[in-house]
Amino acid sequence: MTAPKGRDGTPALRVERALRLLPDLEALTPLRALLVAISRADAGAQWASSGPYLTMGKRGVDPGELRRRLDETLEQITEHLSLLYHAYVDALEALSAGDPAPAVAALVRAGHAEEGPGRLSQAREWYEVALKLADELQDRRPEIAILGALGRLARTQGHFQQGARYFQRCLALAEAEFDQSGVAEACAGLGSLAAAQGQWGGARAWYRKGLTAAQAGRDLKKIGHLYHRLASVDYHDGDTAAALEHLQEARRSVESIQDAEGLARVLAAQGDVESDQGQADAAALSYREGLAWARRAAAPEVECAILIRLAVFHLTGDRFHEAEEELRRAEQTAIAHTLSRRLVQVYTLMGKLRGRQKDETGFVFFEQAIELCRGAERAPSAEGRLYHEYGNFRSMLGSPDEARAYLEKARAIFESLGETGELEGVEADLERIAG
Amino acid sequence: MPTPPIVKAPPAPAAESPSAIQVLGVGLDGGLAHSIRPWMSELHAHIEFVPDLPHAVRRLAAGHWDVVLTVLGEHPDEDLHWWSNALRGRTGAPRLIAFAHRPSMGLALRAEQLGAQDLLALPVRREELLRSLRRVGRGTSEVAVPLEATAEEDVGRYALVGQSPAMLEVYKLIARVAPSTATVLIQGESGTGKEVVARAIHANGPKASGPFVALNCAAIPENLLESELFGHEKGAFSGAVTRKIGRFELARGGTLFLDEIADMSLPLQAKILRAVQEREIERVGGGDPIPIDVRLIAASNRELREAIAQGRFREDLYYRLAVVIVRLPRLADRGGDLALLAAYFARQFGAQYGKHITGFSDRALELLSAHRWVGNVRELRNAIEQAVIVANGDTVLVEHLADEIRGHEGSLSGTMSGELATLAEAEARHIARVLAHTGGQIGSAATILGIHRNTLTRKIREYGL
Repeated sequence: MTAPKGRDGTPALRVERALRLLPDLEALTPLRALLVAISRADAGAQWASSGPYLTMGKRGVDPGELRRRLDETLEQITEHLSLLYHAYVDALEALSAGDPAPAVAALVRAGHAEEGPGRLSQAREWYEVALKLADELQDRRPEIAILGALGRLARTQGHFQQGARYFQRCLALAEAEFDQSGVAEACAGLGSLAAAQGQWGGARAWYRKGLTAAQAGRDLKKIGHLYHRLASVDYHDGDTAAALEHLQEARRSVESIQDAEGLARVLAAQGDVESDQGQADAAALSYREGLAWARRAAAPEVECAILIRLAVFHLTGDRFHEAEEELRRAEQTAIAHTLSRRLVQVYTLMGKLRGRQKDETGFVFFEQAIELCRGAERAPSAEGRLYHEYGNFRSMLGSPDEARAYLEKARAIFESLGETGELEGVEADLERIAG
Repeated sequence: MPTPPIVKAPPAPAAESPSAIQVLGVGLDGGLAHSIRPWMSELHAHIEFVPDLPHAVRRLAAGHWDVVLTVLGEHPDEDLHWWSNALRGRTGAPRLIAFAHRPSMGLALRAEQLGAQDLLALPVRREELLRSLRRVGRGTSEVAVPLEATAEEDVGRYALVGQSPAMLEVYKLIARVAPSTATVLIQGESGTGKEVVARAIHANGPKASGPFVALNCAAIPENLLESELFGHEKGAFSGAVTRKIGRFELARGGTLFLDEIADMSLPLQAKILRAVQEREIERVGGGDPIPIDVRLIAASNRELREAIAQGRFREDLYYRLAVVIVRLPRLADRGGDLALLAAYFARQFGAQYGKHITGFSDRALELLSAHRWVGNVRELRNAIEQAVIVANGDTVLVEHLADEIRGHEGSLSGTMSGELATLAEAEARHIARVLAHTGGQIGSAATILGIHRNTLTRKIREYGL
């Protein structure tokens, strides 16, 4: 209905204050997520002078609504725990019956259940237990799948070396077992790690190898994904024509299996390439169509990611008004669906946008993003980019000392990750300030 | 996936006419499409059907459309928002007519707020749909009205625009108060121009040669506000990466403007009071007092006396700040200033976006005058900026205005098109209007409506508001 208000016309309780009342306990994570998801902008906030700087922390919370939604959340928690507990008991029963294969499957099921809502560290714990047990199986396919999942998690969490080890093991095993799908999965993972570390030639080689395996296994989903990844390498190399060709191939594959989410991702990438080619109308259309597919797939994470790319597209073209509109939509989607990492990206870009507008109050967005990084699952790449942009923001507004401090933080993060591409960007900005 | 063919209606004779309404049906099932097709011929409308949102996006980009017909899904609110965003800025500014299974009053009101042309219940009744389509009013002529000449008082990159009696009183007060160094409290609703007035006082005052430093107290995270105001020493807290000079120090010899001051916590209010009284501050993590020489101007969009009564604002600070009070009028109370401001913004954004805007159409001006400007001048400025961005000629037409403003030209569910509303519809609309007026405060709304709070809460639930 309307934005929350306190009793007797007092202003609504702000999220920033509400969160201060909540101890930082793992058991309360769903409550924290619910509190943020139900928060709303005050009725008058849109037009208040603070409106352009509205962040999650300044949204209002209605304790009554929180109470009304508690049962629903507690039911979800019970359901989630029930799934985990039953998975464990299933595993135990299978093991006591001397049949480890269903036990492994049950543990993997628990890992998937944790991964879904973004509990990555917890998912990893389940997968690692499953991996030890899978070692006893004659059938190696579960082990291949678990190693792939562990590699993916390590990649997301910024543990690149660990991720590479998992993918290498996955690859060796899959090749030995002639599991083309496993080979494709491992190669895609190794390619993405190489790309994250700026080794684009290596990334291309891994993606090509993965594509060959996926084609041999007629795995259309992976074929689409790998063509998409190859396009990202072309794009980085400045070969937009090749990128578009690979994206067309990717589109054909995902369309043939009616993968609406995959199609949304491909169209977003196509938008990036078209934008780079200066075809602004075509790019806007690709992003919009991608958004429509994401909506059809009921994939808020993808929808949010495309809105962010659309905002970057407008920001690049100095269309600040449009960029802000898209970022606000992305913010709303990220808050409603508890997409903390995306929210960090949104606020980083909002800060960048304000910097471009020479608006020093824009620092509030960077501060909100930093606050989110403290609470969310570790996402060091996003954190590094956040400090990089914060440094540039301070530099642009004439605070070189603060700029240097933030850029050095970014450099430390990217150095620890081995993200050489990002690192080069930070070093160049540091040199610029020094000069 | 294989692209489903775009289903085209058999060419109706009038579809060739350039004035035929162009209708895009999105996601309508076969039965519904089959029913609608012959009705379109009656209206001399041309209709195309596409199976889903993605195909709709492509078709919308490919040509000129006047109306989109679609069925809202399981999350009708979200769908309405999606369409509102998707149709913004499209060629022809197509209007949305949405179908819903058992639409609630709340959904109808939200559709209206989002500027949908109509919300119709399923199964669709022929008469309702045709009536709604006729109201689209394509081809209604609009006459260009030249922009009014504006005489504005420049305040840096800002300007005071307006000749209404209410604004003349404000100008006189600024002229009286500016030459002194008295602390000023500016009160007014959001978007009435408090910062512009503060800048005008600074620019015409004795500290005009010094800096004008503004701080929006509501925008800054609570834990950082103190360091923004007073500065901090390096290492004073975990984020203090370098020494920072606060706004009080930055404003030395000039004016410090504290906007939305009611949002400041009580402990911080005490520190501001001390700074005002002692004329000195201390940086966070620093021990030495630093003398300050600033003129202080504060502003609030809330009634500070109410905040004092609620124990949320210090009375002693209020009296320190409110040496002179400037109250700014709402845009609705400024009469002909709306047209002046619209002209001023049209020129400003025309220059910014490289467009030569010379006028508004008569109907666009009517819609602007009829709109409830809850965000006052700021909302108007935003609306004109959007209109200028999408305008493709030298005149701002109705189709260039945001749907929220155009919502008044159509109307929903027949209730504003001359048909008499049911008592429940009228009641729901009135409650929604009062809630919008009170900013969602149920207690205040209940007082205005003269009913008990619990009764209002029940009605809100009942109507799905």
